[in-house]
Amino acid sequence: MSIENVSRRKFIKQSGLAVGGLWLGIALPNVVMAKLGLASEAAFNPNAYIHIATNGDTLIYCGRCEMGQGISTALPAAVADELEADWTRVSVKQGDGNEALYGPQATGGSASIRVMYIPMREAGAVAKAMLIAAAAKKWQVSAQDCYADSHFVINRNDNSKLSYGELASLAADMPVPENIKLKEKADFKYIGKDLARHNQGDIVNGKLTYGVDTKMPGLKYAAVVHCPVFEGKLKSLDKTAALAMDGVEAVVEIPRMEVPFGSIGGVGVVADNTWTAQQAIKKLVIEWDLGPNKTYDSKAYKLQLVKNVESPAQKAAERGDIEQAFANAKHKVSATYTGGHLSHSPMEPNASVVWVQDNSCEVWAATQSPADIQKVLAQYLDRDPKDILVHVTMAGGAFGRKFKCDYVQEAAALSKAVNAPVQLTWSREEDTRTGYYHSINAQHIEAAIDEDGNVSGWLHRAAFMPIASLFDDQVERAPAANLGDIFNHPFGIENIRTETGEAKRHTRIGWYRAVYAIFYGFAFGTFADEIANKVGKDTLTLLNNIYDNNNDPKQETQVRRSKGALALAAEKSKWFSRDKLPKNQGIGIAVHYSFESYVAMAVLVEVNGDDIKVLEVDCAVDCGQVLNVDSATAQMEGAVVMATALSLRTEIVFREGAVVNSNFHNYPVLRIDEMPTVRAHFIDNGDKPTGLGEPGLGPFPAALSNAVFAASGKRYRDLPFKPSTI
Amino acid sequence: MAQTVTINGKSYEINVDGAMPLLWFLRDKLELTGTKFGCGMAVCGACTVHLDGQATRSCVIPVSAVAGKKITTIEGLAENDDHPLQKAWLNNKVPQCGYCQAGQIMNAASFLAKNSSPTPEEIDTAMQGNICRCGTYQRIKIAISEAALELGKEV
Ligand code: FES
Ligand code: FES
Repeated sequence: MSIENVSRRKFIKQSGLAVGGLWLGIALPNVVMAKLGLASEAAFNPNAYIHIATNGDTLIYCGRCEMGQGISTALPAAVADELEADWTRVSVKQGDGNEALYGPQATGGSASIRVMYIPMREAGAVAKAMLIAAAAKKWQVSAQDCYADSHFVINRNDNSKLSYGELASLAADMPVPENIKLKEKADFKYIGKDLARHNQGDIVNGKLTYGVDTKMPGLKYAAVVHCPVFEGKLKSLDKTAALAMDGVEAVVEIPRMEVPFGSIGGVGVVADNTWTAQQAIKKLVIEWDLGPNKTYDSKAYKLQLVKNVESPAQKAAERGDIEQAFANAKHKVSATYTGGHLSHSPMEPNASVVWVQDNSCEVWAATQSPADIQKVLAQYLDRDPKDILVHVTMAGGAFGRKFKCDYVQEAAALSKAVNAPVQLTWSREEDTRTGYYHSINAQHIEAAIDEDGNVSGWLHRAAFMPIASLFDDQVERAPAANLGDIFNHPFGIENIRTETGEAKRHTRIGWYRAVYAIFYGFAFGTFADEIANKVGKDTLTLLNNIYDNNNDPKQETQVRRSKGALALAAEKSKWFSRDKLPKNQGIGIAVHYSFESYVAMAVLVEVNGDDIKVLEVDCAVDCGQVLNVDSATAQMEGAVVMATALSLRTEIVFREGAVVNSNFHNYPVLRIDEMPTVRAHFIDNGDKPTGLGEPGLGPFPAALSNAVFAASGKRYRDLPFKPSTI
Repeated sequence: MAQTVTINGKSYEINVDGAMPLLWFLRDKLELTGTKFGCGMAVCGACTVHLDGQATRSCVIPVSAVAGKKITTIEGLAENDDHPLQKAWLNNKVPQCGYCQAGQIMNAASFLAKNSSPTPEEIDTAMQGNICRCGTYQRIKIAISEAALELGKEV
């Protein structure tokens, strides 16, 4: 059991949490922790807590970080359901960064829901059983004579009631039950229902505070400019004009901190307001030594990647005999696909407040990983990680960017320099130009088709600047393991070889929402459409054939669920009536499996000349049990919006080592007038829930490319379809 | 005598460099943080407030230019946070991360005040300057139409 009664434990008091009532600690099962690479030695490591106070208020302390994906509602719903709580009495408190209290807190990889769902439900069920046991003891009846409903325990014999608040302290003395029976799906009250997210009221009245909104007495404000080229450094700095400005307190050099999540290096200004700091930045006279990456040109680099995949590369994995398959092939199909760098560009730019004092360091930050802040600041300040106190604020979007705490380390450097709490807010320009970008990439696929029209051989070369290069500058190509998603793709292909092409680093690469699924999904989904076209089948039939050819019993589930998603997308969209569409319209379909979820999309477009308008998107989703239909639907809408922009036009361009884009005018994300109608359909099969923050991005670019081809005969093989002209 | 500006019905002295954009006066001086910073160059809409009822990008308007005028921010849009748009936003569960939503609502409020029965195309045009990176546009459209109906009933 991963639940423990911690009501009387000292650390609750020491952490400054309320005492009294019932406290349960909830731990991730160790196997799951190990799988995430987060295994820990200690026997019991809670990651979340439930506190039922003596007035009945039920507070869930959730150590995971909220970024708008609704975790802080979906998980509590799981608790409240099993607890038979009154939903309006249950609220969530974002836990501070404190690994001693919460264990690993990183949020990413769509893992939160996957990992926490069952433990959260168990905790609710345990609390309920303890409250019932407490009531039974008070009434001197057996537990069977009592039941729980809406924050009360009720005595079946005489219908008398005791509230959870009245029972909480007594419940803390009851034993934690060994065997807990969870509810049946049919009995769910909150799970899978449309629940308002907890903080929505405070969003529409402007009261919810984010990382950029932290205020405190004595706060100073800062801005920063970074070295435009990765691995460059400051050569000379004239700060006279900046320092002469009213309100400017200090100009501080911030050398590059050579750890993956440390500052890239730059100069900061501390002032009495953000605007003055930003103005002062413009007055700095700086010369940079641009260093080894000063010739990086992303356009030329992409062409080189194409060469690297169109000729033999380093073998990653192989199965069967692809030479034989190609020798016996009736048709051969081949194509090359590319994709550019992307910037996360959440609406809230990087921001945090840090206060470094002699014997303490406090951080207020929108972050996806408080533990990394503790680690990096500990190293920077030469202190113990547990002495860095991190308060996690709501993030105004993150998409992977706020995993990396370079912006927090810079605020620490500034705070240290001026001996005061400093709020550093990056300008949009710095946010755009100083990213951890999505890998620039190229893939080349060759397929052998036998005389029955089956795909018998598959050669797949990929070259992309890998995330691994952020951690190790010697890495020259994506490690073979990064190509595992190609090799293990549930297509049934007997003979396959994967190869990884050279792709040295010239900038910082980082996880971007959906990561590899963006370009793997694009290549698999588009190439399937191209094969279908070549052999004269429709894409849905061809995809079903390819899946049916998969005889690997280990992939039976993946095959079944991929096909199920495809079938649903086809059925809900205009796929089967596509012959009746106007001449300039077309529909494309694709499916992709990533982060343990299956998403198929059917995209309807209208093409007029070069103009592509996405009209409708039907998303068929198999993510197991849906915890909250509404936020799951919202994730699909968001994925379509982001994927439309990255398919059609957003791309980060490097020239002479530096990013050319600067703000939303030349990194043109999607706006409202281009919003298609998005419908999400869920295959609610009761399987364990899997995450949805990312998998929606996998199938979209391919479905869009296929739709445009159907409408116009023009095939787009590059992301974005229309390269940036800046 | 120092110049003043009225913000959400209260008068404030403009005690900063007049060139400071209204956004930073609100956020860093008055600590009214509901108005957000997104781009600083009038291309994202996150900082939208009302200047004498008119939606305005506070990141590019100097505070000296609003002296003697009336500013409304998200905090002052409706006394009990019950503007029809705020209700429609909750009803349609519009926000994801929520960061852009103050700007979205303020922009929509000024738009609806002028056009109480907008077509979907008119909504698109009016809301074109407000970016939502989380992708809540579909719900924004529905919520604005819904609020328009509600406003229609009120008058
Ligand atoms: S911050 Fe003013 S429009 Fe973007
Ligand atoms: S809700 Fe996140 S940017 Fe709009």
